[in-house]
Amino acid sequence: MWSWGRGAVTLVVVSAETLVLVLVVVTALGFDFTNGFHDTGNAMATSIATGALKPRVAVALSAVMNLIGAFLSVAVALTVTNAVVKTFSAAVKDPATGQVTAPAHLTMGGDALLMIVLGGLIGGIVWNLLTWLLGLPSSSSHALFGGLIGAAITANGWDGVNWVGDGTKLDGVVGKVLLPAVASPVVAALVAGLATWVIFKLIAGISHRSSEQSFRWGQIGTASLVSLAHGTNDAQKTMGVITLALIATGHWSAGAATIPFWVKLTCALAIAAGTYLGGWRIIRTLGKGLVEIESPQGMAAEASSAAVILASSHLGFALSTTHVATGSILGTGLGRPGAEVRWGVAGRMVVGWLLTLPAAGLVGGLMWSIGHLLGNTAGAIVEFLILIGLAGYMFQRSRGHAVGAHNVNDEWSGMPAAAAVTPELATGGVA
Amino acid sequence: MSGWSAFVKDLHYAGTAIWQVLLASVVLGAGLPMVFALGVRSLAWGSASEGDEGQGAAARPGNPAGKVLAVLLFAVVLYVLALGIYYIVVGGHGKELAFHGIWPEQVAKK
Repeated sequence: MWSWGRGAVTLVVVSAETLVLVLVVVTALGFDFTNGFHDTGNAMATSIATGALKPRVAVALSAVMNLIGAFLSVAVALTVTNAVVKTFSAAVKDPATGQVTAPAHLTMGGDALLMIVLGGLIGGIVWNLLTWLLGLPSSSSHALFGGLIGAAITANGWDGVNWVGDGTKLDGVVGKVLLPAVASPVVAALVAGLATWVIFKLIAGISHRSSEQSFRWGQIGTASLVSLAHGTNDAQKTMGVITLALIATGHWSAGAATIPFWVKLTCALAIAAGTYLGGWRIIRTLGKGLVEIESPQGMAAEASSAAVILASSHLGFALSTTHVATGSILGTGLGRPGAEVRWGVAGRMVVGWLLTLPAAGLVGGLMWSIGHLLGNTAGAIVEFLILIGLAGYMFQRSRGHAVGAHNVNDEWSGMPAAAAVTPELATGGVA
Repeated sequence: MSGWSAFVKDLHYAGTAIWQVLLASVVLGAGLPMVFALGVRSLAWGSASEGDEGQGAAARPGNPAGKVLAVLLFAVVLYVLALGIYYIVVGGHGKELAFHGIWPEQVAKK
């Protein structure tokens, strides 16, 4: 084969790049899968906690809604990566006519982009798995953004990151990540708190049993809506990342405004499978750890989450489903006089949120450096093996104190994983 | 555009967006459960009650008007949920909804 000369060498080079591309796609689907089980609780924790749905039924319903939601994604979301990393230059427009004179183009070569995306994805997965092990609901999008930012800084310096956008719209790390993260849980908590307060005023004096029964139906309807919105938003992000990788390596036309069908199919299946697996550790923290809730509060929380998510997407305000869901559940505790909010649990979540960007970024940067040291192909293989190793290790640790459908609703007695991991990990490094 | 001025603009845009999100979310997110709670209340009014368990309240007959009202209120809730689903479907296609009264129409995203 080598004796074929230049043609054969070209063949080998092409397949090396294809190998990296395949690893990126597989890793992206792995991220999509963790995205699914990390976020099952956002929609279903309240329905599981109040008994509106049996745990297995709840995750199955959420998985179906995510699958449908993912298939609804038609518009390509290439801007996901661009929101934090400078991957595309802006299209140049003629100021007089508004006509595009130079279309948006990639700012770096395909290889360079693939290695940043691979590092970023691994950073996101590792942080998702660690927070799942600790039973911490944290944002999957932030984990991905953190990983990408870390890899981009290591590769291209501080200027490789889109920190604040260009001032024409909410953009960049500040506009699309940090500000929404601060604002959205507060807004969700206010809305859910108000809803809870109003509901309990209105149903005062009605038999507890019959109101619980009715509100369980309300919970199922609103929780399904949240799952559907999640499937559309989050699966679309992974589809965007994979499509970007395909464009960067010349496997998909940059002008196409569509997602390749196989990308849509695999992403939809990955997020639905992850959702069906159910992140029971996180479901437990959200449903039992933060506030003890009853059906009316469950409906208030999911209605608030759905409203905030849909209103924000309408207004172009990017936010994380996790932050909204957590804020809503907290709000239902605040809105019901006499309800207990476990501020210790809430505080630990906030610490997790603050650590998400830097921690995922650190892993992303580290992974990119490995790729840089070993060369793209060998580096990508080593990075992938490290990811498999870490994932296997954390899965092994989770079996020490397994949480599943059988014990997800048990009496709350502290963070589920706290006993199974070292104290430094359990507190996220904060004593 | 310097970084600082883009940062200030981001703050400004976010401030505007947050108010709008809060307003819309209060109307939908708190309004929907409120209508639902009214429906539950009407349903209780419409059903024969045996009083709360253990409180020994006297039994009273149900009022049919309560049932009718409950059905109407639950229909409103279902309509809003359906709108939510429709909005997500349309959004996945890169469009959004505009409203003429209560009927939605698909339009191109701004």
